[in-house]
Amino acid sequence: MTALNAAQAWREGVRRVARAPLIVIGVWLLTALVSLPLALSIRADLMSHLGSSLAAESAAQGVNLEWMQEFADQATGLGTTFRPTIIGFAAVLDNLSGFMDTVSRPVVVVSAAAAYVVLWLFLAGGIIDRYARDRATRAHGFFSASGGYFFRFVRLAVVMGVVYALLFGLLHPWMFDRVYTRLIRNVNVERTAFMIRASLYLVFGLLLAAANVIFDYAKVRAVVEDRRSALGAVVAAIHFVRRHAGAAIGLYALNVAAFALVLAIYAVLAPRAGGSGWMMWVGFAIGQLYVLLRLCVKLTFWASETSLFQSRLAHAGYVATPAPAWPDSPTAEALRPAP
Amino acid sequence: MRSVHFAVAALVSLAASASGAEVTGTIDPPLSPRNASYVIDAKLDPSSHTISGSEVIIWRNITTKPATELQFHLYWNAWRDDRSTWLRETKLGSRRAIPAVRADERGHIDVTALGVRGSARADLTTVMRFVAPDDGNADDRTVLAARLPQPVAPGNSITIELSWTAQVPRTFARTGVIDDYFFIAQWFPKLGVLQDAGWNCHQFHNGTEFFSDYGSYDVRLTVPTGWILGATGVERERHDNDDRTTTYRYHQDDVHDFVWTTSPTYVERRARFEHATLPAVDMRLLIQPEHVRQADRHFEATRAALKYYGEWFGAYPYGHITIVDPAYQSGAGGMEYPTLFTAGTRLFAPEHVQDPEDVAVHEAGHQFWYGMVGNNEFEDAWMDEGLNTFAEARVLGTWGTPYYFSQRYFGGFIPYVFTDIVRTREDDWNRFAGYRRAPNSDRQSTPSFRYYPSTGGVITYNKTALWLNTMERWLGWPTVQRIMSTHFSRWKFKHPKPQDFIDVANEVSGRNLNGYFDQVYRSSDSFDYGIQDLRSDKDGAKYRTLAVVRRYGEAIFPIDVRVTFADGTNAVEHWDGVERWRLYTYEKAQPAISAEADPGHVLLLDVNRTNNSRTLKPLDASGPRAATKWSLKWMVWLQDLLVTWSVLV
Repeated sequence: MTALNAAQAWREGVRRVARAPLIVIGVWLLTALVSLPLALSIRADLMSHLGSSLAAESAAQGVNLEWMQEFADQATGLGTTFRPTIIGFAAVLDNLSGFMDTVSRPVVVVSAAAAYVVLWLFLAGGIIDRYARDRATRAHGFFSASGGYFFRFVRLAVVMGVVYALLFGLLHPWMFDRVYTRLIRNVNVERTAFMIRASLYLVFGLLLAAANVIFDYAKVRAVVEDRRSALGAVVAAIHFVRRHAGAAIGLYALNVAAFALVLAIYAVLAPRAGGSGWMMWVGFAIGQLYVLLRLCVKLTFWASETSLFQSRLAHAGYVATPAPAWPDSPTAEALRPAP
Repeated sequence: MRSVHFAVAALVSLAASASGAEVTGTIDPPLSPRNASYVIDAKLDPSSHTISGSEVIIWRNITTKPATELQFHLYWNAWRDDRSTWLRETKLGSRRAIPAVRADERGHIDVTALGVRGSARADLTTVMRFVAPDDGNADDRTVLAARLPQPVAPGNSITIELSWTAQVPRTFARTGVIDDYFFIAQWFPKLGVLQDAGWNCHQFHNGTEFFSDYGSYDVRLTVPTGWILGATGVERERHDNDDRTTTYRYHQDDVHDFVWTTSPTYVERRARFEHATLPAVDMRLLIQPEHVRQADRHFEATRAALKYYGEWFGAYPYGHITIVDPAYQSGAGGMEYPTLFTAGTRLFAPEHVQDPEDVAVHEAGHQFWYGMVGNNEFEDAWMDEGLNTFAEARVLGTWGTPYYFSQRYFGGFIPYVFTDIVRTREDDWNRFAGYRRAPNSDRQSTPSFRYYPSTGGVITYNKTALWLNTMERWLGWPTVQRIMSTHFSRWKFKHPKPQDFIDVANEVSGRNLNGYFDQVYRSSDSFDYGIQDLRSDKDGAKYRTLAVVRRYGEAIFPIDVRVTFADGTNAVEHWDGVERWRLYTYEKAQPAISAEADPGHVLLLDVNRTNNSRTLKPLDASGPRAATKWSLKWMVWLQDLLVTWSVLV
């Protein structure tokens, strides 16, 4: 197999994601299932607060900001997140901005996010294995790969956790609380302060991307080369990224561009408050389509990085570990004719 | 004393103020008592951030008692050290509110000489002392007192001379310096207000503003040549000095304060307010270069304030106004001074979003409530801030331009406009949400400087706007407009007290509103009326309907109760709202479908409006529909959050 360039690897990644639609549907279901209990909880709180008030009618028809604020003011925990910022594209800005500014969230939301991350960690092995083999592995193959790689990915997660903790726990406060504050201390032109902050976002984003790309290739190498050492996988990933920097960075940039394109499309199409009839469901469907596209982008990162790696250091479809086979039952074994 | 000759000349000029339609800062005949007139000569050293100045005050005792001492505000000493009352109160409100400043950035003011001229000539420098009339804080140096060698009899005048030096602070309380941007307010030794009960000269407090007598100000300011200068009043003279400085002379009659600002980067724009029945006003805008495209928005907002306030309350008499767009991080935005105010906007400020229009209307409006009606802001801040918030909300509601809810992201730089959430006068411009969070925090009749620091603003601004708007919905705008215009014309260029406003309200409305003011002004109780129960049961051929309305809050206000039936008819009851609850029963051929307490939404102070109504079938299906709709939206937000955080896997 000839070595793919960044664009070819990205297209190959898109193709592999498209060839495994069940993975997309599965992670979308996972996202929905993690969110649903909390959404039901919020719904119960909203119902309880609205009661049979006439305020419900205006809240159903459009936005009743006064009610919304009254609810949020009286709420604790999850309910405090119920603000206008959940509407349409503002939700995306709120989450991206919250991520980049490390805005604190209620414990329930953080717990849900932590559980979601752990579930992704579990599925990562199966997903990358599927994309690496580029052929159907069936549910048993997928989950046995997920289980098989899970503990090495947990070890990798410890390394990732340390790096991300350093980035978000030490570097971010240093950059945005100390350096930024110091840099703009005597700035009396907002444009200058904005440029400084944007530059810091860029620097932090690049560092985050660097960590991200290394950990992505660490996962890819752990699966494709059956590496058991988390540190070894990380070191190998660093070597790979250094030796194929142009392709690896170009590919990451293409994936980021795809992410930006999805955001741009949603910025145009994102439903506003709307009513409560069928338009409510149309709005929800558009929201789910957006979530699905975001998940596709995330999966394309992995799929395209896998194909890039395979084209450079292995070959398409190569995975060191044999395809996992689900053992048949003893009865089936007994019935199987001897070879 | 830097320039005695200048002072003498200026005093002569003050005494012989000429009339004329040209905007010169001179007003004849006088609009105010002009019992505290200042001639000031000050020089800014921008490198050391210091001001050295001298002033001559002609002060007349307009009380009925002799004055035996003088008291001056030295506001900038509030930031001299952490022991001042201002900083102690700031810490009480929120430790985070204290700006991080170095010792040399704190700011202070030192009076180096104080004396009395004329027949009672005396040097008072040696008898100066600091007093703390509000809290006895011996470390507070914001009020300077000096005993007079001879009492000043009622109606008599004295001439006071002072010299001082001041360190310009890094911005505290909307005054100070950042880089080459100076906004200089509350900056000179300023007399308190002598009343029959003695000097009203409060220490500088974190939550309140200022109080002083009217007079004429003639001020010479020396700043680096080439820097743009804006100030209270009208520029009368300008000349360049040998040391690369320029001296400006500004003059204004019938004001009670003087402020100025200078920076090399201001961009100057001019426009004019014209009206069929109101005097024209020259508008001068000093705007930041990065905001030049927003110049018209500043002018339009100022025009709106001058038009509506002028039509509703009374004319703006000065003929000129200066709008200052303060520099980023200067902390000088959103503040009023006589004939000059600071607005405030952002680099990214979409149209139809709050700023700069909201703040510009508010601060321009202060020319009326604060500038002309000069209540004591230390004690009765609601009389200007509250009345002005009400009027500002009314302007924004009347103007006809829709304003949308917005939110800022990414460090507060990037705005997002929610075009399906139109801001309303009743809730947004009256600042209802803020009030609902702390409705009981203080009785409004408590002296404002004694309000709890972090919630004082809610009682001062929000509550007043809400109770005035409630009055408007209750008594009608013509009545409230007459109350406010009468109060304005009766008390302009004077110092009204709360009872003066209440007296005018009773007189003009022709009603005894004392009970209402007992609830909203003298009490910290909150209002909360609601429908406790609604039933409509078949009873033979008819439906028997029971509606229970309840007073959940402690405060009392008469409300209507409306019960609507399935055939579209309704019954409206009037309840005095005094008892804890009231039962209404009906026997009708149709069942009830809803009951509402205060259906006209007259009582804007009701802190829990969702409980104001109850519905029966078929309307009660709206609750589940609304809850489903909003929980689905919330779910997409959460999913997006989860996917965003999954980048870490």
